Amino acid sequence: MITTVVLAVYAFLAGAVVPAPLSRARWTHRSPVLSVLAWQGLMVTFVVATMLAVYHLVLTEQHAHAGLVGLLTLCGLAADATVGGAVPTLSDTPAPVAAAAVVLLPVVRLARCAWRAHRARLRHLDLLALVGEPAPEHGATVVDHHVPAVYCLPGRYRRVVVTRGALDVLSEEQLRAVLEHERAHLRGRHHLPRLWTDAFSRAFPGLPLARHAEEQTALLVEMIADDRALRSHARETLATAMYAVAAGRVPRAALGAGGAGALIRLGRILAPQPRPRRLTRLGVLAATATAPLLPLLVACGH
Amino acid sequence: MRRLGDLEAEIMHRLWAWGRPATARDVLRDINKQRPLSYSSVKTVADILHGKGMLKRHKEGRAWVYEPTCTRQQYTAALMREALGGNPDPAGTLVSFLERMTPEETDALRSALRTVRTRSES
Repeated sequence: MITTVVLAVYAFLAGAVVPAPLSRARWTHRSPVLSVLAWQGLMVTFVVATMLAVYHLVLTEQHAHAGLVGLLTLCGLAADATVGGAVPTLSDTPAPVAAAAVVLLPVVRLARCAWRAHRARLRHLDLLALVGEPAPEHGATVVDHHVPAVYCLPGRYRRVVVTRGALDVLSEEQLRAVLEHERAHLRGRHHLPRLWTDAFSRAFPGLPLARHAEEQTALLVEMIADDRALRSHARETLATAMYAVAAGRVPRAALGAGGAGALIRLGRILAPQPRPRRLTRLGVLAATATAPLLPLLVACGH
Repeated sequence: MRRLGDLEAEIMHRLWAWGRPATARDVLRDINKQRPLSYSSVKTVADILHGKGMLKRHKEGRAWVYEPTCTRQQYTAALMREALGGNPDPAGTLVSFLERMTPEETDALRSALRTVRTRSES
């Protein structure tokens, strides 16, 4: 019984308590690679702890009381159909099956998201084959459209796409910096952590960890790509390129904005901050590695 | 899903450029100015494009006449809708340099840039 409570509290910490302070922590933007890892670690921790908590809860079902179920509800777990549906029939559900459901939920989501992203990319490539012009001098495909945009299509048929509008507003130097940013996304396979956080938030909707991890990961991978571009380009170049692309767009009203991150990125590009101290980095790395393992120790120790 | 091949794009590009319905034979004649290709390849791919809903066709005499269902601009618009959509679904489908922004956010970006410039100049 104690084990279940400890594991549930642990899952609650990872899923609902730690995410808010982590997304506010200032070191995260100074070391984006480490931060992406930390978020991934936290998600694994949540899944492992929840899985073990559910396992022990089902084993000691007779002793389970409303408080624990309430705790799981807080974590956004019981709201889900799979787990929620399993609760009333705990007595005839074997513990391993219930525990496996907690793991399978995000894994199945991930597979579905990956498949849908793959299909969407193929469809996009078809359109690109029709209206895009290859520009080998930039290593990119050019689309004849007035709105400035630069993006990459990751995966098997990786491609960087630039619109005519972006070519118009960017200088040669700025364009090279932006293309370097996009190539960094492709080389670093930044779509994978984004896909995984998306799948995770679909598996555990309403969970604070899911929301924060998705938002922060999207921003952090942009920062990683910015940093890569800054290795070979001036800060001013990338910053002005960012503004040139933004200003060249005429945003239509009442459309969702995702631009808050751009301001944070710009500030970071223009006023570089030192990396966190070595000790901090090692500490975060150690915490990321051990956090998912601790619940296993707790579960095995009882 | 089959990848859209080069020949498919070539056929569409010609029909868009001509702006009139054309037979597979017309397209073949134009391609043959650059390289040899068999009639059956063009005919097959034109039928595939018809099957995908990208070409419509009707019969004139004994030959099928093909014409694009959408303009090139419409395809470009569809492409850009996905690219500029802000929140691709699922996340990571494509990764944009800059997400969609409101005018206020663009202004904030400009003033941030200006502040730094003034600071570095003074």
